[in-house]
Amino acid sequence: MTIEDTDSGVDRPLHSDQTPREWVQNNLFSSALNSGISVVSAVFAGLVLYFGVGWALNVDWEIVRANLRNFMIGQFPKDELWRPWAGGLALVAGVGVGSAGMARNAFDDATDKGLSTERPTWIGLLRRFWPILAFIGLVLTFTRTIQPTLGVLAGLGLFVAGRVIGWNMPQSIRRFSLHIIGIGVLALFTIVAGSGGLVAVVGGFMAATIVSTAVGDRLNRTVLGGKISALVLPAMGAAAVWLVMSSINSFGYGWKEWGGLYLTLFVTVAGISTGMPLGILLAIGRRSQLPVVKGFCVMFIEFIRGVPLISLLFFSGFMLPLLFPPSAEIPDGITRAMIVITLFSAAYIAEIVRGGLQAVPQGQIEAAQAQGLSTGRIQRLIVMPQALRAVIPAMVGQFISLFKDTSLLAIIGVAEFLQIATIANTQQDFLGKGLQPITYTFVAVGYWAFAYTMSKESRRLETRLGVGTR
Amino acid sequence: MLERILRLTLILAVLAGAYIALWAARRSVKGSANGPPPWRDTKVLVIAAQVATLGVLITVGDYLWANFRARTDEIGLDLNFDFLDQPSGISIADNPLDPNSSIQNALLAGVKNTFLIFIVGIPLAVLLGTLIGVARLSTNWLLSKIATIYVEFFRNIPTLLVIVFTWQALLLGFPREQDSWLIRGSSTPADSGPPALEGLFIFNNKRFAFPSIAGGENFLAYQVVFLIGMVIAIGVWIWRTRTFNATGTPHRRILWSLATLTVIGVAGYFALSSPFSVSRPIIEQRIASGGIKMQMPYVAVMFGLVLYTASHIAEIVRGSIMSVPKGQVEAGNALALSGFQRYRFVVLPQAFRVAFPPLINQFLNYTKNTSLAIAVGFAETTGVIQNLFGQSRPAPQLLLILMLIYLALSLILSAIGNLINRRLQIVGR
Repeated sequence: MTIEDTDSGVDRPLHSDQTPREWVQNNLFSSALNSGISVVSAVFAGLVLYFGVGWALNVDWEIVRANLRNFMIGQFPKDELWRPWAGGLALVAGVGVGSAGMARNAFDDATDKGLSTERPTWIGLLRRFWPILAFIGLVLTFTRTIQPTLGVLAGLGLFVAGRVIGWNMPQSIRRFSLHIIGIGVLALFTIVAGSGGLVAVVGGFMAATIVSTAVGDRLNRTVLGGKISALVLPAMGAAAVWLVMSSINSFGYGWKEWGGLYLTLFVTVAGISTGMPLGILLAIGRRSQLPVVKGFCVMFIEFIRGVPLISLLFFSGFMLPLLFPPSAEIPDGITRAMIVITLFSAAYIAEIVRGGLQAVPQGQIEAAQAQGLSTGRIQRLIVMPQALRAVIPAMVGQFISLFKDTSLLAIIGVAEFLQIATIANTQQDFLGKGLQPITYTFVAVGYWAFAYTMSKESRRLETRLGVGTR
Repeated sequence: MLERILRLTLILAVLAGAYIALWAARRSVKGSANGPPPWRDTKVLVIAAQVATLGVLITVGDYLWANFRARTDEIGLDLNFDFLDQPSGISIADNPLDPNSSIQNALLAGVKNTFLIFIVGIPLAVLLGTLIGVARLSTNWLLSKIATIYVEFFRNIPTLLVIVFTWQALLLGFPREQDSWLIRGSSTPADSGPPALEGLFIFNNKRFAFPSIAGGENFLAYQVVFLIGMVIAIGVWIWRTRTFNATGTPHRRILWSLATLTVIGVAGYFALSSPFSVSRPIIEQRIASGGIKMQMPYVAVMFGLVLYTASHIAEIVRGSIMSVPKGQVEAGNALALSGFQRYRFVVLPQAFRVAFPPLINQFLNYTKNTSLAIAVGFAETTGVIQNLFGQSRPAPQLLLILMLIYLALSLILSAIGNLINRRLQIVGR
């Protein structure tokens, strides 16, 4: 008896070799109910698209055009605008070279281990970062002069050139990919901040980098910690130095005059990078067996997590000034808000890190103890690298969440991205014309582009690091 | 300043000395001379570390407190809570709060408004979130794509923006008071100001108004009757369940108890000769009476929060349904359960157990996010406090009250959540 391979199609996989007609049948009209749902959904989607696109094409975007600079950077002095541009270009070049170098390192590493990987492609980069690119494109359509477009084109050119150079540079230089990104960041800060604090910033950053390299190298030698430590520590160092320098206002453009998207991004980056060391300490403290330490950490974390951010911002406005010594000068509103946001993100990061610490198997610690490592070294060399690696996606999640939460600064009157929309709506030329939907739509697109890109990156990291699957 | 630090250092040094003395005493009592020296004895180190932590905390706290006292003395700020009895001067639209009553009352009204956002919004958010979460899992490509776009849109823009957006959309989407949408009602133009409105339902960009129940003569007696009816209905429910367990006849307990309640309710209504009537909303000269009125800021903040929270709940629902092992569904198939039965009796109970802790987390977030209502001017707790800040009432005490209220709400909610969660968990073997 022979069994013939019949061509009935029963064994054919459902998702391949389908004709479009079959696909539509399977996915949209497989049953009467499904057909009904499809029709209703199609009508709904069609109506939303029709009215949404129709509205966007027909309204006058003049209010955004007139306020574009405010939306991007706030009240930054007009004569000094070359600074953010030049700094931005330096940053883009640094990120291009550094990111390509790191990608190449990871690629070579995987090839050596015989793992299958794919070379990063331009299409892949586009697919990953299209929302931000689309937003930049949208912003460019609102510009009135040619300079911004030229600037963005120059930035794109620098980035592409940087990627090519970064991918092809020798291994000895590639080792310092992260430092190249750091130099880009440093350049941005230095150029935007002005020359007054240059020496201090360079010196502080170099010190931070050297320390972080030393620590990073130690972690590098351990299981998996290298990249995380190397990524996190310079960023933290740079942000800390920058924070200190800015609050002293030793150079021209302290953040009092900042605003718009630039301020939003700054507050987010600074909040996370200053909150991170504090959060890690709090997480370790919360797992401590010493009742005093544990009690304090639990109380601090649960207190901050139990109250709304807006009440903490009220605290920064009404209470924090009363806590400075009577002789001292009270820092400005943004600095005070930054202090509170640091404490806020520290509490949330602490809970994330605690999750990571709990995920490190007890056997790891016991093995380290058997090797005769001290408690401090066990934490630093064995527990932390594994714990931090496990929480990177959650940390990106916290970054997104803080990015969105900075919009609350609008309530206490700080001119961040959302507040600029409110300010624009009350300008003489636009007051009472019902233009709110236009400005808020623009702001929503901006927030969405950044947050969506980051959340996609976080999911990508999750798969790449294999969190939850090991 | 320097003196304070010196004093505290001295206290710390004395404490450290006391502990070393304690350690020495302990060692001499035990009589063993072979133990480690005090700086390597874990027991001593543990205590020393805690004393040091405490010392640092007390030093910092003391320093901040001294600054605080100096600053408050400078501006002549009283640090007591007597101001709570003063008249608040706050009036909330469509709220019977008297501006001459005390600040305490204003705060209570604020807390009540926070509670109103919570109690109405949470069921809506859970409902919408569940629908969208299930839609994302639908085999219908178009439906699942629409649900995905919804989730990815609302999860990635700030809550505050969603609320402000909803506020604008509602303001623009609904007519002004002059052209209110009325259902079975009438609008009489006034000489000045907004017209007098009356109807079963009133919709305009100031408020939504619905009919409500107004008590008559025997209303209290009727409430007692209704309560008894509910008790009897629960009894019927238990009886049906027991019968079902004993004999296996279909229980139909929902039907039975609802029918019992309806019969008692209707009988009570006639027996007590119309104890209540329908109250229609009336708005005259900016003063509203009768019915249930919802101010537009309230509607905006509630819908904004519902739209936002639903996107997060949808992800929780999706994840928890996907977490139910496929074997469970196949087992349900093998038992010849229908699609609905499979969901109702196999998948959802297990998914719910997984979804519950993150859901409670979302409720906590929702509670904290109600404070964003101040962006649209709805007077809930934060709004009332902000108003009081504006009247230059003592800020430190107000802040303390504000934070304690939200902490209390969070703690109560998470306590209830933990209690339920413990009952939901599978008892481990």
